[in-house]
Amino acid sequence: MLKFLKQVGDYTKEAIQAGKYIGQGLSVTFDHMRRRPVTVQYPYEKLILSERFRGRIHFEFDKCIACEVCVRVCPINLPVVDWEFNKESKKKQLNHYSIDFGVCIFCGNCVEFCPTNCLSMTEEYELSTYDRHELNYDSVALGRLPYKVTDDPMVTPLRQLAYLPKGVLDPHGLPAGSKRAGLRPEEIVEQAEKES
Amino acid sequence: MNPGIDLQGSFIESLKSFGLPAGAAKLLWMPFPMLVILVVAVLSVFALVWLERKISAAAQQRIGPEFIGPLGILAPLADGLKLAFKEDVVPAKSDPLLFTLGPAIVVIPVFLSYLIVPFGQNMVITDVGMGIFLWIALSSVTPIGLLMSGYSSNNKYSLLGGLRAAAQSISYELPLALSVLAVVLMSNSLSTVDIVNQQTGYGILGWNIWRQPVGFLIFWIAALAECERIPFDLPEAEEELVAGYQTEYSGMKFALFYIASYVNLTLSALLFAVLYLGGWEFFVPIGTIAGFFNISETAPWLQVVAAVLGISMTLLKAYFLVFIAILMRWTVPRVRIDQLLDLGWKFLLPVSLVNLLITAGLKIAFPVAFGS
Amino acid sequence: MNLAEGVQIVSFGILAAMMLGAAIGVVLLENIVYSAFLLGGVFISIAGIYLLLNADFVAAAQVLIYVGAVNVLILFAIMLVNKRQDFQPLRRGWIRKAATAVVCAGIFALLSTMIVSTPWAISTATPAGDASVVVIGLHFFSDFLLPFELASVLLLMALIGAVVLARREFLPDDEADRAQVEALRLPERPRELVPSGRDETVN
Repeated sequence: MLKFLKQVGDYTKEAIQAGKYIGQGLSVTFDHMRRRPVTVQYPYEKLILSERFRGRIHFEFDKCIACEVCVRVCPINLPVVDWEFNKESKKKQLNHYSIDFGVCIFCGNCVEFCPTNCLSMTEEYELSTYDRHELNYDSVALGRLPYKVTDDPMVTPLRQLAYLPKGVLDPHGLPAGSKRAGLRPEEIVEQAEKES
Repeated sequence: MNPGIDLQGSFIESLKSFGLPAGAAKLLWMPFPMLVILVVAVLSVFALVWLERKISAAAQQRIGPEFIGPLGILAPLADGLKLAFKEDVVPAKSDPLLFTLGPAIVVIPVFLSYLIVPFGQNMVITDVGMGIFLWIALSSVTPIGLLMSGYSSNNKYSLLGGLRAAAQSISYELPLALSVLAVVLMSNSLSTVDIVNQQTGYGILGWNIWRQPVGFLIFWIAALAECERIPFDLPEAEEELVAGYQTEYSGMKFALFYIASYVNLTLSALLFAVLYLGGWEFFVPIGTIAGFFNISETAPWLQVVAAVLGISMTLLKAYFLVFIAILMRWTVPRVRIDQLLDLGWKFLLPVSLVNLLITAGLKIAFPVAFGS
Repeated sequence: MNLAEGVQIVSFGILAAMMLGAAIGVVLLENIVYSAFLLGGVFISIAGIYLLLNADFVAAAQVLIYVGAVNVLILFAIMLVNKRQDFQPLRRGWIRKAATAVVCAGIFALLSTMIVSTPWAISTATPAGDASVVVIGLHFFSDFLLPFELASVLLLMALIGAVVLARREFLPDDEADRAQVEALRLPERPRELVPSGRDETVN
């Protein structure tokens, strides 16, 4: 009898606890209701991306020496380097260069290893097309620079989380001239100069 | 008891004064409240869809629909229009007759149940004697429609969803009915109007929620399960069953399921308000306020104010519960089918039986507080 | 005949036609699922006729219990059973058919005599109407107490039986083994194993 009563007691305790946990969960969701939305109204507002953002790859045709390091370090050997040996100058001459961004995983290895820095990451991420073959960029398309978000009159640029002041999560309505958290590169340099 | 505003009586009287016989005047009156309720019920779907999207957005720090109309209130309308113009696909090797009949059988009982929802002393389509029992009986018809659509879709996910829905429906009907029974026991009547009247007189203190603290929890859990809302939305669990019995449906047939589920949620919330939150009662009894300001209770303008207040109080309470249901959706995870049946049969059913027993005992012991 | 009576007669006609049609469909249709759904139609029409007889509580109970529970259970049973069996003609099938015919004829005769012998005089007592619940309750606990209690005992027995059947936890050892082997094998066509990669040499 006592054992049975204990079982009943434990069961009620568990039920009450479950109810308490559901109540806690509800209070968390309810608390979210009073927070401001962090939505970025995309086509009208865009984020200023961090300088480490890995977007579409930019390629400078004239700097390339057709060494094919990018092909070797690429996880899927994606870049297509079409070159021929120029007998007169005894150098490789680049004819075509292309990367298919439908297959690229934007790991940035090619950019990392390029000996002449002819590859670089841009902040372009709007790569949608109606046909996946249109994503196969040739050297001309790779040489184009994306339009800067801050220059676009149609777009309200918003700071990304990394550029927001300390403790601020919402990029909307930020006062002009508010500084981001931490030191800026020039300040670090200044400090280093002062110390030395 | 102040009878409140009597629209039917005044309508028939005014028609009689034009020289119509009483029977014809009543015939003219009859379709009117039904039409009003039908339109209101369908409109409540739009309101509910909009609320669901906006509250979900708020709970997730999003904005939600914004550009379709002011604050996105036309977004549900756009959804509805899209569904209306969509092609009505009947899958190959399905059973076209049952496939068409299924959604209709799901929708009809839900709309019929609005017969008994009171918005005021005389603002109810029919004050049927067996009121709340009619709702329970009608809601038990729905699983047949679900099984029908699940079976006729010729799709294993549909069949599984249909079977789950039916199992869930019949197992949560019992705790629901038992918790309603405890309320009925206290008010000595199945009629919804009587149930509300039994709670009047003391304002917020007289509501059944204080007398049935266990019953209202059981009712709400069971009602959520009957509506297939999130902790219990297994029949249409997107991650496992695609969309359950709705998988093969498109166009208006899908819209019927959609409407049925939202109307059912509103209905459950309304009935919760009626059963436990004093229906159309204000937090303070209106008679007391009128007495405080020395106004006669039979003054016509006071009656109009009381009627408007009654409707808005009923809707306010119902939408408060809808809000909780939506908040619940983003708070609790879905239960498994065995957990669902465990909860229904091993926890809610015994607890609701004990609740009924205790209510009966208290009724005998304290007839003043628990109805006589 | 006033409006209300006309409405009553028309709805009685519709309900009766629905009930008879659905009942004949239950018996004659080949597809068992159709039969089950039509059975629901029969129950609903009966509930409608109860409504016409001013017995709204009985009508609602009919819908709740027969349509909402019994019919759903029948459908459940049909949809969860997945057994295919070849149809084997019985050798002396006509005996069964004859026996069925005799039983049916007997029931028909019984019902017809009952219908003929009932006076069908319309009761002069006022219908209980909305108070029918109270009247039914009073009858249950006074003159119909014994049938009521017997029915509840029967239901309790069924309930306990269901619990006993569902909670059968101990299986004899050999039977349990057999059941496990059966359960673990999925009913699928034997497939040729597709060789892949290095395993080709092993095959």
